[in-house]
Amino acid sequence: MKKQDISALLFTIGLFLVLSAFPAHAQNCNFSIRGKVIHLENNQSIPGAYIWIEEVKNGAITDDDGNFIIRDLCAGTYTLKIQFLGHKEIIETITLEKGSFNKTYRLEEDSMELEGVEIHGHQDAIQTTTAIQALYGEELLESRGENLGESLKRVAGVTTFSTGNSIAKPVIHGLHSNRIMILNNGIRLEGQQWGAEHAPEIDPFLADEITVIKGAETVRFGPEAMGGVILVSPSDLPTKKEHKTDLHLLGASNGRMGNISLTHTGGSEKIKGLGYRIQGSAKRGGTIQSPNYYQSNTGISELNFSGTLGYSNKKLGTELYYSYFNSELGILRDAHTGNLSDLQSIIENGRPFTETDFTYDIDNPKQKVIHHLAKFKSHYHLNSNWKANLQYGFQLNERQEYDRRRGELNTRPSLDLQLYTNTLDLFVDHTHPNAFSGTWGLNIIQQANTNVPGTGVTPLIPNYDMVNLGIYGMEKFSKGPLEIEGGIRYDFRNVKTARFINRELESADLNYQNFTAFLGAYYQLSKTITLSSNLGSAWRPPNVNELFSQGLHHGAAAVEIGDQNLESEKSLKWVNSLEYSTNKTVLELTGYVNSIGNYIYLNPTGENFVSLRGTFNVYEYLQANALFYGIDLSGSHEFTGKLSGYLKGSIIRARNTETDSFFPFIPSDRMDWGMAYRLNGTGKTHKFTLSNLLVARQQREPDFDLAPAPPAYALFNFAYLQQLQLGENKLNVGLQVQNIFNTSYKEYMNRFRYFTDDIGRNILLKINYQF
Amino acid sequence: MKTYHKLPIYVLSASLFAFASCESEDPVIENEEEVITDINLNFTELDESGNEVGTTLTFNASDAEGIEVGDALTADDIELETGKTYRLDIEVLNAIENEDITEEVLEEGDEHQFYFLGSAFEGSSAPLTYVYDDESGELIGVSGIVTVSSSPGFNNAQFRVVLRHDLDKNFPGATNPNFSNFTEAGGESDLDVTFPLILN
Repeated sequence: MKKQDISALLFTIGLFLVLSAFPAHAQNCNFSIRGKVIHLENNQSIPGAYIWIEEVKNGAITDDDGNFIIRDLCAGTYTLKIQFLGHKEIIETITLEKGSFNKTYRLEEDSMELEGVEIHGHQDAIQTTTAIQALYGEELLESRGENLGESLKRVAGVTTFSTGNSIAKPVIHGLHSNRIMILNNGIRLEGQQWGAEHAPEIDPFLADEITVIKGAETVRFGPEAMGGVILVSPSDLPTKKEHKTDLHLLGASNGRMGNISLTHTGGSEKIKGLGYRIQGSAKRGGTIQSPNYYQSNTGISELNFSGTLGYSNKKLGTELYYSYFNSELGILRDAHTGNLSDLQSIIENGRPFTETDFTYDIDNPKQKVIHHLAKFKSHYHLNSNWKANLQYGFQLNERQEYDRRRGELNTRPSLDLQLYTNTLDLFVDHTHPNAFSGTWGLNIIQQANTNVPGTGVTPLIPNYDMVNLGIYGMEKFSKGPLEIEGGIRYDFRNVKTARFINRELESADLNYQNFTAFLGAYYQLSKTITLSSNLGSAWRPPNVNELFSQGLHHGAAAVEIGDQNLESEKSLKWVNSLEYSTNKTVLELTGYVNSIGNYIYLNPTGENFVSLRGTFNVYEYLQANALFYGIDLSGSHEFTGKLSGYLKGSIIRARNTETDSFFPFIPSDRMDWGMAYRLNGTGKTHKFTLSNLLVARQQREPDFDLAPAPPAYALFNFAYLQQLQLGENKLNVGLQVQNIFNTSYKEYMNRFRYFTDDIGRNILLKINYQF
Repeated sequence: MKTYHKLPIYVLSASLFAFASCESEDPVIENEEEVITDINLNFTELDESGNEVGTTLTFNASDAEGIEVGDALTADDIELETGKTYRLDIEVLNAIENEDITEEVLEEGDEHQFYFLGSAFEGSSAPLTYVYDDESGELIGVSGIVTVSSSPGFNNAQFRVVLRHDLDKNFPGATNPNFSNFTEAGGESDLDVTFPLILN
């Protein structure tokens, strides 16, 4: 890292601290009481708990995460009363003198009153000291219809690594694919994430909240959670009699996309604690339009389903979950090139040669992906402090990729993979009031990958069996405004591979093992400022494609050569977050440094391979030490009751510290800012948002790239959202215009920037009815 | 309640069973059905009235492992005589699978087309001229007529053969066998090989 960069970073943080500290000593009656209310027995947050201060006749209700704040209190002594149905009341006397007050309250279930009262739903909220941001409520509503990657762009520090418009992989702090982890309702999603053109196999409609953890979380979640973790979480199941249906209808002008999603949630009247949810969505889109032309063969078709059945009582909680994801999508025809001179001529042209009109048909090249995920989860309260948990997940991922081939071969996939994954988690949680809480557990992942025969192409990756065993423990100590957390984990992984190369059987048996650990702290500096810091190590064994790729990457005009002797990547990530929040202003600044040893990357050798089919570039997998660092900033401010503004931005720097060069596909500096105008009527709100996305040119280019980084661009977007209360029901109507001025641009992080402009203007209508 | 207590045990045993029963399949040798390993250029001399004379000259380019990384590509020197006219029949083979791909090219004549490029066909003093002469009448290039100039400007040249797949045959210029901007007609190259040409 350059000295200049560090001092710039420190200066920014310092400036921020000074600015934020000013309002703290302005007045006497500026104290606040802040806290979190959680269940004593399992550490889960309690939303909707009631907090009352008798002296000022004022109170608060905890939010979805169990947090509450009561502001504008003068110095003095107060009696705080905390209540939640079915739980013992807490009454505490607090003296506010110099600073503000912060505490975590743990409510104990009141067994005497349990008969006939509400049983709370059992769902684990993640508690971590690392930087965490979530997409929910209004923001999630506005993102409906987008794929997971696109939706997550709304979180500062998250970008996408995309292949055209329908394949978008989330990138957290510059890392993606196998360096981040996605959890589908608690189960780590195991698809073929090694491929740059392999999108996450998940339907964002099943989520009620999407959480991004920006720290290294290997200890908690296992290897590969190096850059961060994305949790796609459905809402809690009801535990009493109630029925709720959520309907989404969406339409988009670009690609003439239509999308429908229906979710029905219910609770049983006869059996207390029994709840269920069924959810399904369908999507169909046609040829995407850039400002000046259609992008041929860019249609998409998706059909997804999920179902959950849960039962919980005082001691036991169980959940059975199944999700099905089925997607078929076309790959831009011109992006599939025969050889290097084909590739060069289209790059030179800057746009596709193929002229086309709109169609919903999906032709070769295309991908067909089916993902099944089944989960069983259960926990049992051993006593008021200890809980035992079991979670088992089964996944089957089927991926078929079709190329343009001759004759009958066109109907056969040229890549046909079946990946089975079993995951088993066994762990115990313990919670003791105002002291330690923690988790100790065992985690097993077993995986079998098979190339389905009959493709007529030598497979890119071998068949393999993988077993990963992990044991871990972590403890958290909470006292007042301070939380300290630490953990350690040991993993062992075995990979056995087999395949035929030139009609000879080649097999390998590889072992990897590693210790990882983390230490983190969270501190409430003042009533408006919280500070968190997390230092975590992480590791990732090399993936089979990095070890064994050998041959032509069809369509990419590249010959890729793996290396069986690659070692595991090991990283150390330090994430610091500073949060400033008042009634009107919220600011969050995250700074991080991630040092990765043995970072694996695909390096152009500079050599060409000449075949009958023409010339190809040769790439090989290499390892080097890498340093990633950067900052994310997000904030909002309410100017008046009606007018507010927001800003999100991120800066990432990544260097190969061995060769002192840059890595390809690192997001360039970007900022999204906008103004919102809100009109509140009775049972009706209108919100108009005008926003502007600014993306800089990536100045830090690798030594070799097929084409230079595209120029900087600016996009303007408009969004209107109306929320209407119709008796018990709720209607949300949204109208969005993306890329208002139909600007032609290319995004550095889109692999298809070599071939085409990005998507042009898109007008979307989004209707949501909750009844 | 009692039944629930045992539930985790059932699930655990069921999952252990699933763990044990789930293994990857043994790998299977995949037939490389798409690979082109050989291209044969068969030149047969024609007399003034278009009748075949003499024996056929065959020049081959081959790539034993197809487009996988392996042995280097080899290409024969094409040796032709000045002032003569030849019929050029192209054969495309997959030696790994012992398959004649020429038939597939002909079957999908609307999606395939050979182009003839390089210095042998360039400029007004080009030593060679090519005219499509396929049996079906479609412009494919599996069969064609090559005329060698009686007084070529040079005796050594590059003879480049490109087989395009999935192109727009109606693209302006695409009917020209020496169309150097063939990429503009869309599609991709299935073959792109250059032979040295020697004129005697």
